[in-house]
Amino acid sequence: MTEDKKQLLEQMRKSVIEFEEDRVKELAQKWIDLGYDANEAIFEGLAAGMEVVGELFAKNEYFVPEVLMCADALYAGLDILRPHIKAEDRAETKGVVVIGTVEGDVHDIGKNLVKLMFEVAGFEVHDLGKDVPLEKFVEEQLRTDADLVCLSAMMTTTMPGMKRVIEMIRERNPNVKIMIGGAPVTEKTVEMYGADATGEDAASALGEAINMVASLREMKRKKEI
Amino acid sequence: MRHRVIFQPSGRRGEIEEGKTLREAAIELGVGIEQVCGGNKVCGKCKVQIQEGYFAKYDVNSSMDNLSPIGKEELKLLKDGEAKNNYRLACAARVQGDVLVFVPEESRVGGQIVRKAAGKINIELDPAVKKYYVELPQPSLEDAEGDYERLLRALEEQHGLENLSMDYHALRALPVALREGKWKVTVAVWSDREIIRVEPGYSEHTLGIAFDIGTTTVVGYLTDIATGEVLAIDSMMNPQVSFGEDVMARITYAMEHEDGLRKMHEAIIGGINRIVSNLCEKAGISREEILELVLVGNTAMHHIYLNIYPEYLGVSPFTPALHRSLDVKARDLKIKVAPGANVHVLPIEAGFVGADNMGVIVALEPEKKDDIWLIIDIGTNGEIVLGNRQKLLSTSCATGPAFEGAQITHGMRAAPGAIERVRIDAETKEPRYKVIGKEEWSDEARSEARGICGSGIIEVVAEMFKAGIIKKSGVFNTSLETPRIRKGENNQPEYVLAWREETAIGRDITVTQSDVRAVQLAKGALYTGCKTLMKRYGIDAVDKVILAGAFGSYIDREASMVIGMFPDCDLNKVVAVGNAAGDGARVALLNRRKRREANRVARRIKYIELTVDPDFQTEFMQAMYFPHMKDRFPHIQHILDKIPK
Repeated sequence: MTEDKKQLLEQMRKSVIEFEEDRVKELAQKWIDLGYDANEAIFEGLAAGMEVVGELFAKNEYFVPEVLMCADALYAGLDILRPHIKAEDRAETKGVVVIGTVEGDVHDIGKNLVKLMFEVAGFEVHDLGKDVPLEKFVEEQLRTDADLVCLSAMMTTTMPGMKRVIEMIRERNPNVKIMIGGAPVTEKTVEMYGADATGEDAASALGEAINMVASLREMKRKKEI
Repeated sequence: MRHRVIFQPSGRRGEIEEGKTLREAAIELGVGIEQVCGGNKVCGKCKVQIQEGYFAKYDVNSSMDNLSPIGKEELKLLKDGEAKNNYRLACAARVQGDVLVFVPEESRVGGQIVRKAAGKINIELDPAVKKYYVELPQPSLEDAEGDYERLLRALEEQHGLENLSMDYHALRALPVALREGKWKVTVAVWSDREIIRVEPGYSEHTLGIAFDIGTTTVVGYLTDIATGEVLAIDSMMNPQVSFGEDVMARITYAMEHEDGLRKMHEAIIGGINRIVSNLCEKAGISREEILELVLVGNTAMHHIYLNIYPEYLGVSPFTPALHRSLDVKARDLKIKVAPGANVHVLPIEAGFVGADNMGVIVALEPEKKDDIWLIIDIGTNGEIVLGNRQKLLSTSCATGPAFEGAQITHGMRAAPGAIERVRIDAETKEPRYKVIGKEEWSDEARSEARGICGSGIIEVVAEMFKAGIIKKSGVFNTSLETPRIRKGENNQPEYVLAWREETAIGRDITVTQSDVRAVQLAKGALYTGCKTLMKRYGIDAVDKVILAGAFGSYIDREASMVIGMFPDCDLNKVVAVGNAAGDGARVALLNRRKRREANRVARRIKYIELTVDPDFQTEFMQAMYFPHMKDRFPHIQHILDKIPK
């Protein structure tokens, strides 16, 4: 890797961490103008930066506002880089994800962040939005043949809806992985509802999504060696 | 299989089915245990201690082995040594044998100081219930008309009252009352149309009670509705607290338990009846003399005290069973006052903005003002109204329980021992503080503090920000050299507000990074609500900020603006109005025209759902900074300028 390339990636990483949206755009454009591989910038620049953001968040040094601003910076870079991803990389999706906030619930900040992480990681994401009728998750899973369904609820009153979705999906397709998240969701909820995973709270759901990206980067690196 | 469970210090006991949690046992036996998270093993506030050994008095052999084994989540919430000292979380430990459970003071519900005095109200008296004294001609064989008809005739002739009906229970008591009073009686008429009580002779006082049913506190104001005078006030913790501390937890309880609504309904009616008897005792009157009640409460409380299933309030689009006001016979709700007495329930605006907020509007009348007011009722749920005679907008935002001292490491209710005032020296970073129940500040006498209450949390965070201990983003400035700032549990930075030697709990009282984060979320939500309404109205600044609710009158106005709980405003124009919801209930008790107005205004107020606003995420994010990421605060700029860099 040339020095110039390395330096660009490092700057991109740093600019995501410091939520300098304009700087990220500038660097991403420069990267493309120099004819480098878009996927490399996404993983070694943007995602690498977000990984550090996740660590800062876990340490409570960054809070929701900073993470959201970092996410904005990351999105800005992604918008520029994504159209230039090579066809062979594009074909190689990590999987298909259906995501949404369950019926009766209109909170979506956490869901949107998790969605972003999946996108960065190269998943094909179908976002159903918020206040999503429960049957819609089942239909969308069948339609897209998604490997993973992510359900979000921020209120104790809407949380039981997730259980019904899980039952409906399991009935037709027992192999789908189901992740649930939101402020009232705990490990106990996962067990009771028969889901596969959760972040313990909105915070660690985010942390977990970032970790997932990290492990994908690891896999990718190994493959390249 | 059932086992014996005894709770101390209350001494309540009973046979509990195997497998139930101690929390469920406590609810069944009527023991109040803190449970901020609704029994989800998240808040760690429901710690109890198991007393081991044989207790002859109760004939139980209590042992830790008689509970389900301690779990991973539970262990995480117990402090060092607590697990060894037989502490368990009531929501996690399941009954498998006989146990004697001690509920330590910090986990106990109750003992809160109720700060809901009766404010002065100026209102024209036009109550729904009016009393009329009449003298009837004695019946004879020539004039053997029925008692009811005889009474109607007298009321028409002597007071011009027509087309009256009569409450069935009042009717049953009529023949005796007429004869006991020797055909001279006092008749109570409700809304110019129904006779609700007949008393022998002349009776002067017309009594009613205005109730403010808060999520946490219930207050009753016994009032002479003919004069407006408050005769007695009584308050208590809302007995529903043991079913969940906030409205969502209560709605969830109703959804998840078949008899959940019934239990909570009976709990609040029991509470209302207890207040009624306390008030009667204080004023030296009998229950039967109370002829009218007004109830206000947020939408969830409203549904539960009316015994209406609340699930649909708890999910989008948050539709209540009804918006308009309601009149119900007290006896239908099993409230023990005069059998013919009426209960008036104020209208509901929308979603969580309930009748208590209507009480605020009834009391303050923003719809008649030219100035634009921002009325903020701060509670577990923040309710905001903005506007003037042109238009009124309202919204509600989930501030969470941080302002009530919950989900804060050393948070507690406003009870004796709670730190309520804080000052931090910007140079030395040394604090001085004052606890509830003590005149002296901490630098004058040993504080014996137990924790920090809601108003204390706002002050300590504001002071930490002013002293440069936390930055605008809320993060700790760890480069400061003072033993007060250190790394605590989980390597998190924290500020020591009180050293263990000063406290009554044998531990340092600290404010952690997570506590600051909880305040940021709560105040960010409130600010976002205010700002969103201002944008919808099309204004950049308001003429007046009104802090309603008991909490609003207790927080420091400057501190709350320094942390950015609401947009910039001249501090002299920020006023606290005390328990305006209770005042509104009293107004409605004294003036029936205001009841009609309340219905009209309720229809005019436009409800704005915050989370669907396209700018919500950005606004919320910016509002989490102290005092704000971008908005300016000219009125406190001089304070902000002094913050050490």
